[in-house]
Amino acid sequence: MANNHLTSESKQLATWYFTFAAILFGAQLLFGLVAAIQYVMPGFLYGLLDFSIARILHINALVVWMVFAMFGSVYWLLPDETGIETVGIKIGKLIYWVFVAAIVVVVLVFLFIQVGPADDTTIWFITEGREYIEAPRWADWGIVVVALTFVANLFLTGMKGNRSGIVTVLMADMIAFAGLYLAGMFFTDNISVDQYWWWWVIHLWVEATWEVFVGAIAAYGLITMIGAHRKVVEMWLWIEVAMLFGSGILGMGHHYFWIGTPEYWWEIGALFSALEPLPLVAMFVHVLYDWGKTQGAEAEKGNTRSVIKNKPAFTWFVLNAFGNFLGAGVWGFFHTLPQVNLYTHGTQFTSAHGHLAFFGAYATILVGMMYIAVQGTNGIKVLKNTKASIWAVSMISGGVMGMTVALTIAGYVQVLVSRAQMGATWAAYFDGQSGAWFTQAMDWRLIMGTITFLGFILLAKDLLTTGKNPVHER
Amino acid sequence: MFEPFTDVVPSFFGMLNQGPLTLTIFLHTVIILPMIWIYFQEKKRLENEK
Amino acid sequence: MANKSVWSDNRFWQRSATWVTGFASILLIWLTLDTSAQISMGNDEDLKNGVQKRVPGPTVINYKITYEMDAKRGHEVPVIGEKEKFFGRDDYSEEEAGALLHLGKLGEQAKNCMDCHTILGNGAYYAPDLTKAWIDPAWGPEGAMQALTGKNTKEEAMAEFLQHPDQYPTHARMMPDLGITAKEAKGLVAFLKHMSSIDTNGFPRNFGKMQGAVNGK
Repeated sequence: MANNHLTSESKQLATWYFTFAAILFGAQLLFGLVAAIQYVMPGFLYGLLDFSIARILHINALVVWMVFAMFGSVYWLLPDETGIETVGIKIGKLIYWVFVAAIVVVVLVFLFIQVGPADDTTIWFITEGREYIEAPRWADWGIVVVALTFVANLFLTGMKGNRSGIVTVLMADMIAFAGLYLAGMFFTDNISVDQYWWWWVIHLWVEATWEVFVGAIAAYGLITMIGAHRKVVEMWLWIEVAMLFGSGILGMGHHYFWIGTPEYWWEIGALFSALEPLPLVAMFVHVLYDWGKTQGAEAEKGNTRSVIKNKPAFTWFVLNAFGNFLGAGVWGFFHTLPQVNLYTHGTQFTSAHGHLAFFGAYATILVGMMYIAVQGTNGIKVLKNTKASIWAVSMISGGVMGMTVALTIAGYVQVLVSRAQMGATWAAYFDGQSGAWFTQAMDWRLIMGTITFLGFILLAKDLLTTGKNPVHER
Repeated sequence: MFEPFTDVVPSFFGMLNQGPLTLTIFLHTVIILPMIWIYFQEKKRLENEK
Repeated sequence: MANKSVWSDNRFWQRSATWVTGFASILLIWLTLDTSAQISMGNDEDLKNGVQKRVPGPTVINYKITYEMDAKRGHEVPVIGEKEKFFGRDDYSEEEAGALLHLGKLGEQAKNCMDCHTILGNGAYYAPDLTKAWIDPAWGPEGAMQALTGKNTKEEAMAEFLQHPDQYPTHARMMPDLGITAKEAKGLVAFLKHMSSIDTNGFPRNFGKMQGAVNGK
């Protein structure tokens, strides 16, 4: 980059991670649009890029861009938190390219080879066919190597430098995050056992380790952006860890209602997962409380200036606090009790929750981190909102919310017609899908998805032009 | 007072599952209760520090 | 100055977080051991002796499977009944049936089934749930699929459909041709039949119970 203000190699690497993450974010939205069009016009790209392939790319790009942005966030905050350069950063940089190359190969194989014969070669080199972790086995091992390097970077730096509460939480969290991936790397003929362990990866990622990661990043963001008091922020962080892991780990039971596992999971899954929204409320309160507190302290000194040093990033962080509660918490609670889930399991309801939760809980805060990185890279003291940044955040969050509402309505039809009334068969399924509420909801989903994508283009434009924009204080 | 066991295979957790919420309340309790002990330990430490 | 409260003390919360996380993890591992034992696959002996398993052995394909209300458990459960021919045979050995199931499970993953269908309710929502597809009336003697594919048995109709799905559309949303061979199709049908025998605690509810008078027809 031309005028780069970064002196830390770790932060340099973070910007690489963020860049590739943003590209994959775009790809995720694009393939999501393809899949959304196919709901409305089933013939679209039929036989070329079928729904299954569009969806694989949609959800895998989602997971991978988030992992990239998460790694980037850690590399970004490490020098600030520990006070030293990240240990082994050269290997970290090398492994980045390995990771990118592997992802590109996997995507090309998904796009152009798509499926294989029913044998081990397919599992190893084309697709594993397990939702979210379709990446073939060779790539699994690649990811293990990459994750180990990343964890080593984090641990060695944390042990050598100043180990703050945030770094301590991240160290514990990231090793669990990396280790859990191993639970998804075996083949079994028993579909119940298959799904049992599959959830160890999926659930313990998104409803435990990723959430704790968000808590840690939010803590870092509050200190960086509004100068919140570290001791207070870290106390909240520990409370959040206790509540998130306390409810999230056994909350896994809500995936074990219907996959062949014993009935006692009904109870465990119901109450533990019902408590999962609590820490999310706490996080929202915490962000607003700290903001008010620091601003109030300034006001007492007669200072009316905003304490926020990065307006767009802070907007995304606040959106995260609320979106996490709404998407993961409220929409999750909607269908977490077994008596409800019996009918909603495997319907568009899940899809509605998935869209708002992944967006609210993760996409928002990671975009916020991208803004923090842009601020640092360009040596900006106060990063202000621009027209593009405001339109981007409004269109993206409005679009996702619109998709969520549309999918929820589609879910209602599916639950009532296909499930409750007609008993879930093949014919019942298509009766539900043909209902006017369902088809109209799918039209709205496509419209809202398009708005989201346009918002993304504005976001990319804003991030790329920040460096040259004279409105920001330097 | 005990419910007859209904699941396919009897098990320890299945036994604790005596109708609405018995198992999950038990698990919540054993997770939360030791925090009382941590609380009093930390309280003592804070008092000693003073 | 008043005493510093334990509630605003970082060390208290750090220790509590560590305890809660550690203990919840231990409980999860314990539960996993218990559940793993319960969902391990049964074998041919169990089937012959009528031992109920949550996940029966692969030779369950030799038997008729139905889905019936169980008064004691308060929901439907799969019932393994009398012998039933599967591709003309009802004497598959443990090895033969196991090999078919293995091929079917590999096929389920290699063809990305879960990215359109749901399996045990998990996957994508673009196509019908396959959990109890084997006992779906659509494939039975009264259903449309045997006539549509020109086959006389459920398994043959399913296998034919899987090999040429684009020739038998049931909706504007058609399944694409995934290059499934005859052998793979047989494995996939075995996989589906086996899956329908898994005890899913009554999911999906009322499966296939609504027949005949629907929408005034």
